[in-house]
Amino acid sequence: MKAEKRVEGDVTIITLSGKLMGGPDAEAVRELIKGSLDAGSKKVLIDLGDVSWVNSTGLGILIASHVTVTNAGGSVKLSRVSKRIHQIFMVTKLHTVFDTYDSVEQALASF
Amino acid sequence: MARERECLKGSPRRAARSAQAANPRVVLMSQEWKPNEIHVTIPTRMEALSIIDKVVEGIVELIDLSEEEANAIAISVVEAGTNAVQHGNCFDEKLPVEFTFVTGGDQFQVIVRDRGPGFDVDKVLNADPTTPESLLAPRGRGIFIMRSLMDEVSFRIVAGQGCWAILTRKLRGGR
Repeated sequence: MKAEKRVEGDVTIITLSGKLMGGPDAEAVRELIKGSLDAGSKKVLIDLGDVSWVNSTGLGILIASHVTVTNAGGSVKLSRVSKRIHQIFMVTKLHTVFDTYDSVEQALASF
Repeated sequence: MARERECLKGSPRRAARSAQAANPRVVLMSQEWKPNEIHVTIPTRMEALSIIDKVVEGIVELIDLSEEEANAIAISVVEAGTNAVQHGNCFDEKLPVEFTFVTGGDQFQVIVRDRGPGFDVDKVLNADPTTPESLLAPRGRGIFIMRSLMDEVSFRIVAGQGCWAILTRKLRGGR
């Protein structure tokens, strides 16, 4: 998995690509989230458009991000969630946790 | 929430009894190769599950499946592999994770073997990660996902030989 961060306005956009599987992936995302909060940015958009699949360990990364940012008074939103990942969200009811958007632009406008 | 399989913990004997009762028909250690079977062995590395995902993609392309059905199978197989890597073989790269895909007829079956001691099947099968108190737990979803997306999920544990996850889905078809 690759993780990149950029800032647009007051929103930190974390773009993930590849497979989200836990292990080192978790540490990479955690560092980016921490860096965002340390910089005072509490609006985080995680773009999953280039993530081909997520396993249950990878779900844990997204949940940990959500919990960390929410506990800091911010919010996490997701964009470009594939059908496959959405199917996992539905089964696990995580669609009730995450706000998802079809595009980065729509997600940015929602903050 | 009940935690998922733990490395070198649990009650293998109890788990073995429970799991064997759940699916006594499957022959797990036949040496005879059958033409409707595909066997793939990977090292115990999470990244190697990408290979399995590609294999599943190739197999389901040969079957008339909807995207949702193909995804359900792929997601479940990856979850079974994740459990084998993480909880069964405990990331020990010297150990194999073996996959047997059985196609033909109106069902798709995959058998995933790790070399771990097994786990308390009853405890894990009763866990529900979708309850309000469990919804934000960072782990504990793997077997629940498999059971939600496949028609039958069972486990067999043989002391000293490992744990087999047996996933079966009746094929609905209709691309």
